[in-house]
Amino acid sequence: MRPESRARRLWLVLAAALLGGCAATPVAPWERGRLARWDMGWDPDPLQAAMDRHSHFSKEGTSGEIGAAGGGCGCN
Amino acid sequence: MSTRLRCAAILLWVAATALAVEPGTPAPDFALRPFDATSPVRLSDYRGKVVLVDFWASWCAPCRQSLPLYEQLRAGFAAEDFAILAVNLDEDAADARAFLAQHPVKYITLQNPQGDIARAFGLKGMPSSYLIDRDGVVRERHVGFEPADIDTLKREIAALIAQGRHAS
Repeated sequence: MRPESRARRLWLVLAAALLGGCAATPVAPWERGRLARWDMGWDPDPLQAAMDRHSHFSKEGTSGEIGAAGGGCGCN
Repeated sequence: MSTRLRCAAILLWVAATALAVEPGTPAPDFALRPFDATSPVRLSDYRGKVVLVDFWASWCAPCRQSLPLYEQLRAGFAAEDFAILAVNLDEDAADARAFLAQHPVKYITLQNPQGDIARAFGLKGMPSSYLIDRDGVVRERHVGFEPADIDTLKREIAALIAQGRHAS
């Protein structure tokens, strides 16, 4: 085997191994206990999240910037 | 789409559906340990009765809602050939015990932290319940839970109990 083809084959194996790392078995419905924990949520504390948003849009003058329609007038 | 691709798609679909327990197929048998006893309970021991097998976990919000309602369901059919077997899928049994201490139920609650029985049934979501007739055949499957589902279940259970009575 020529050295280039061996190198090519090695690269192929490495690429396949790397791609294999991307494969993920889906989490079964009964295995979501940890995902269901309150501290795994985007906004674990709704009250804290609302306060953060309020101070954010007050500082930035961009009421409605987070997902609401008609944002950006700064009139709130 | 080429024939080969089509064949592959059909095969994949067949493989995916073959894993799940559908109404009309016999329920996979299991033997699991209850929370309050040491000797395992076997599903096949309930042959001749209508059985509701419910898969639940303490972290699943609709499951938490369902347990007290299933307890009422059990009480309603207490005089009939009907039993509820609840399979708990909490990884940590302490979570389930804490929930059961707050919301006690009189039906049998079984432990399956490994989830292999859930896998055997091919659970699609939490909670899932399977209504099994007197011959051990799955007749209804419910995925998810809303309080209104209890009325549907009551009708289905009553129909299955009546069916067995006519046959015997």
